[in-house]
Amino acid sequence: MTSNNSDVVEVALPSDPKYLPLVRALVEQSAEVAGFSADECQRIALGVTEGITNVMRHGYGGCTHRRIDLLLHAPTGTFRIDIRDYGRFVDPDRIRSRPLEAVRPGGLGVHLMKATMDSVEYKRNDHGGTTLTLIKHMAATPPTARPLRGEGEGEGQ
Amino acid sequence: MNVVREDHGTAVLLVVDGQVDMHTSPELRRHLRGALEQQSSPLVADLAGVSFIDSSGLATLIEALQGVARYGGKLRLVGLAPAVKNLFQLSNLTSIFDIRESRAEALEP
Repeated sequence: MTSNNSDVVEVALPSDPKYLPLVRALVEQSAEVAGFSADECQRIALGVTEGITNVMRHGYGGCTHRRIDLLLHAPTGTFRIDIRDYGRFVDPDRIRSRPLEAVRPGGLGVHLMKATMDSVEYKRNDHGGTTLTLIKHMAATPPTARPLRGEGEGEGQ
Repeated sequence: MNVVREDHGTAVLLVVDGQVDMHTSPELRRHLRGALEQQSSPLVADLAGVSFIDSSGLATLIEALQGVARYGGKLRLVGLAPAVKNLFQLSNLTSIFDIRESRAEALEP
């Protein structure tokens, strides 16, 4: 695990699903440090799991010894992860989510990524593979209700 | 993840514990298929010990649901933790699965 600066953590892991719990622990801890609630941390971990699972399944076709880079950036109030693979560029249209009313085993991963994250973006990277960027912002805290003005406070003051 | 099987007459209870994802769902699938091959009904999955489940796990359960339908059996789920129940809601699956409140109720014929 390396860190280029105090806010970005970079992790390289093999494309083996047995490492998914390790990733979830890292993601949940990072999101917690960024100030997300326990429920939000779990949802972020789910979104990231779906993203990495897509890389393992579609980018690497189930091969378990390819490399996946994770770049985590989680300043207060925001969680961002770039998931970079070295496989082939995966056309996002090929792995779009299925209609939820069509009950069948596959096709839920992309839906869950979009349901749990604010932004899901695929880009071709310099290595010929795909970089998937997932971003989640903390829900805005409602502004504190302004106190009602008491008698004697003039409008023109 | 760990799966313990209990036989209750024609009913089968699978007690699932741990995290269900792309790595562990094949093991859950193996247990479910074993029960499906025996045409067990109701087939009950107790998920109270499941702390995490992703789309791979959901897909495995949907496969089992389709499997029991082929012989007119029943698949029931019980013990969904709030986070797991939330995932079912996100996936629009709460109305598809028969989700029960207690293990005893789920095991009824």
